[in-house]
This record gives sequence, structure tokens and C-alpha cells, in this order.
Amino acid sequence: MQIEIIKPGMLSTVQDLGRTQSRGNAVPVSGAMDTLSARVANLALGNEQTAAVIEFTYADAIFKAQTDLLIAWSGDGAILQSDGQMLPADRPLLIPQGKTIKLINNPTGCRTYLAVAGGWNVPEVLGSKSTYITAGFGGLEGRAFRKGDVLQTFGNQSETNVKFCDTLTGAKINYPRWSIARPLFLPADRKLIRVMPGPEADWFDADAIASFYSAPYRVGSRSNRMGIGLEGEKVKRKIQTELLSTAVTPGTIQVTNNNDMILLMADCQTTGGYPRIAQVAAVDLPLCAQLKPGDEIRFQQITRQEAERLLVQRERELRRLNQDLLDF
Amino acid sequence: MQARPLNIYPLSEQSVVLSFGDEVSEDILKQISAYHRTLQQNPFAGYTDAVAAYTTLTVFYDALQVLLSDLPGADAFEKVSNYLMALAVKPAVAVKPANIITIPVFYGDDFGPDLEALATFHQLSVEEVISIHTRPEYIVYMIGFVPGFAYLGGLDGRLETPRLATPRPVIPAGSVGIAGKQTGVYPLETPGGWQLIGRTPLKMFGAGRAQPSLLQAGDKVKFAPISKDDFNQLSKAD
Repeated sequence: MQIEIIKPGMLSTVQDLGRTQSRGNAVPVSGAMDTLSARVANLALGNEQTAAVIEFTYADAIFKAQTDLLIAWSGDGAILQSDGQMLPADRPLLIPQGKTIKLINNPTGCRTYLAVAGGWNVPEVLGSKSTYITAGFGGLEGRAFRKGDVLQTFGNQSETNVKFCDTLTGAKINYPRWSIARPLFLPADRKLIRVMPGPEADWFDADAIASFYSAPYRVGSRSNRMGIGLEGEKVKRKIQTELLSTAVTPGTIQVTNNNDMILLMADCQTTGGYPRIAQVAAVDLPLCAQLKPGDEIRFQQITRQEAERLLVQRERELRRLNQDLLDF
Repeated sequence: MQARPLNIYPLSEQSVVLSFGDEVSEDILKQISAYHRTLQQNPFAGYTDAVAAYTTLTVFYDALQVLLSDLPGADAFEKVSNYLMALAVKPAVAVKPANIITIPVFYGDDFGPDLEALATFHQLSVEEVISIHTRPEYIVYMIGFVPGFAYLGGLDGRLETPRLATPRPVIPAGSVGIAGKQTGVYPLETPGGWQLIGRTPLKMFGAGRAQPSLLQAGDKVKFAPISKDDFNQLSKAD
């Protein structure tokens, strides 16, 4: 299966679930910003959850099916459309050769994921297919897509891929009536981000912590795959000691020397020297990946135990869903 | 040598921080390196990665895999903590000799645009700056910031220089710089505010290499001055 990029959009890259074994060499994890949507897109097709997907940022991208395609898309940055026909999310879609697919605006979020049967075929670098643009490796030549790029599938189709291809044949775009209920994985209030206290939470005075958990924060315009700048009530430190550089990870909220807050995301550096006031629960990081500049969020404190319980629950649900689809 | 973490606390629900002290010292560096090696040789079920820093080793894991293991503890954090705090560091592992790596540098010119101003700032000649910079055997405390970037200890106090008032938008890969008490090499083209004194033709990071980062924590580093001809020859060789 093969597509051609007719219009690359703002920032389109190949990503998977990230480079989790090279942090010791200061290589960022990278990978899909919204791992939940990336995984749902893969699951909907019967792919491995780790298969490479395309991450689109906002809308305004166009690609063409150069062969028949079995795809699925998920996420909130755009809605897929072909010849004016909306393509439903979170389910397998059979796209006949020659069709052009457009990403049109979805005001809900920021990022959209496109999975294809077998996964997109790009070389593996340090155990992952994720693009890391700063160092220029991974994905498609370590860069964002350009007009005319061609992407192919890996070829290794799963039994479920083949089953879907066989049942959805035809000259028209074809898809089943079911879809994965992705919203069931998301909390009702998608602007309330659950966090646990960070290792340096006690470096801030009690008023600062109280305001951190009550004041709204606005997503700044200087937000990207490395981190999200947060604007709003500044948090004051009570301990002025310099922190010796130590590990950070996606979801870490750092407070800089100007009392600015940065929520670190997929491409963040592996170490940092700013105090870590809080850590976003892993289950809520996908929500952060869909935030747009100007969005307002609040933080809700949960315990480390609760964060772990939520993560394990989410992982078990995804495993069960995977099993159901394999048995389908 | 004792290689016992003093304290353990969560960074996230998939990582814990082991703290070995609160100051930068070669002793703590050795403890962390020995502990890190022991852990890599004796990983627990679900271990994924670890990041060594000045006084900490942060251990990353897959919580679901940890929960399925028979380690004692009520949840993944407790299971990992119990394992890590009980991990015995073998003396044989701890005494690994340091690698000594020489980094050839062409000092000054376009490759070290701040060298002359830095010399003037310290009332030294350019030759003296080069000689002072190449004399110490530096030690790699940690790898962080960007892939392959080494935090080096051992800069001569006579070369301590503040960062540039305005950072440069682009610093070429291989640039050797000074910022405060630190010196080091930019492995990738990035923005940065360090005072640039030279450039190495060595590739500090290569994603395709067996060991992607040329330097590792615990390594010893010497800088050696080279001519422009040598620089060009070595650039071709890499």
C-alpha cells in the first residue's frame, strides 16, 4: 500500500510509541504526542499498537491513495474527507486506489494519527521509527513531510488486516458499522489535567501550590513537540537553590528561573535543571497533546498510587480491546 | 566503595529517582556508574532504561510488566523500589577503568569566534587559553541536554566565563565552548549561548553507531589542538 503526499500540512511526521531505550545517551523518547489516538488507530486495523503511524498537526494536508489502502485514523486535529464524504474515525476504512484524502479543520484539538495495515515503512533508528527532527533521524529522513513524498507500508499484514481487507472490498470507500469508542478512554472534562506532586514540589510555598491547583493556565503560543508553555498565575519558589541537572520525562512540569512553567512533551530533553513542581499522569498526557495555544486548563492533584492505578487500568482496557479485535 | 542509593522517590508512575547525595563529586559519579552497570546486568522484569545524572540515577519501567512480576510490594512503585534498594553492587563491576578519549580541536578562527574576546576578558593570550584548556583531564559527569552532550568537570578556574548575552540561533555541530564553570562540545547543530573557542571534527553522536554517544558518564576527556589541515583530514575520515 502506498500514498503520495500532495500537501504536507503544517508538521507531518512518522511516529510510533517512541525511543524508550536510549535516554541514557540523552536521546529524547519522541513518538506520538497523543499515544492513545495513535494506538487506537492501529488497534482499529488489527495492527500492533507499536506500528508506525503518521502524526498530522492541524488540518490542511492532502494525500492520495496510490494503491488500495486499509487505513484508520484517530485524534482531534482534523477530520478526514474524500470527495466531500466524511470518513469516520476509529475504524478500518478501505480506500480504493486513486482517491484523494483531505484533512479538514477540527476545532477540538491539534493532532491526528493515520495508521495503515502493517504500519508505515521507514527504517528503525535506535529501536524506533519515530521522527526526531532536532537531530535529523528517524521517520522519513529525520524530517517533516514535503510535497511529493511517497510512503509505503511495511508489508507484514496481520490476519486481522487481511480479514478486514477481504470484507471491505469494492470500488467505493467502505467501512464497517462499528468503531472503537475512543471517547470512553477520555475523561469527561478534557481540560482538567490530573497531576501528581513532582520531586521538588516542596520548593514552592504553600500559596504557590494552592494557586497551582486552582488557577487556570493558558497554553502559550510557544508550544511544540518539546513542550507546552503555560501562561497564568506564576508560582513562587521558597527554596532558591539551583537544582543539579537530573532526569525529566514527558509530563514533567518544570518551573524556570523566571517562574514560567513548561510542560514537557514527547521530544523533551532527557535531563533538566529546573525544579519539577508536578508530573502529569500518563493517562492524561494524550489530552495535553491535543491542546492548542489559547486553551485553558486546570490541574487536579492525585496521588502517585492513583496515577499508577489509572495507568494500569488504561493498559488493561487497551489489551482487552486488542484481544477482542483479534477474535473478531 | 559504597554504591547505595540514599533515597528513592517517584518521578512519574513509570520511573523512580535514586538519589546518591547532593553534591557534584567523583565519588558519587563512581557510585552511580557502578550501580547503573549492576542494574543493566541484573535488570528486573519491566526495566526499560536509566538516566544517570550528577547525583541521581532515574530508572524507567513498564508498570504493567512490573506488576506481573513476583517482586514484593503492593504496587509497581513499591516493587521496583524494593528491588532497587536491595540491589547489591558487585565490587568487580564497580572498578571498571575509565576510558580516556582525546578530542582533537581546531581553536580560533571561524570555528572559535569567541576565542580572542575570551582571552582578552581573562587578560591571557590566545595561546595561553588553548594551553590552559588542553591541560586538564576532564571527567564526564553526565550525558544530557541533547543526544551525546557531555557535562564535563575539571575546567581551570582561569577560564570561567559567563554565557553570551545573546545566544546564537545556530551553533554548528562539533563546536567547543565554555559557559561558567563548564566546557563541552555541541554534538548537534542547536541554538546556544556558550562562548565558542574551537571545533572538533569528531562526530560526538551517531544514531547508527553501536555506541551512539561518543562519551559516556565516567569517561576521561583530553582536548588536543590540531591544525586546520588536520581538521579537514579528520572530517573526511569520519
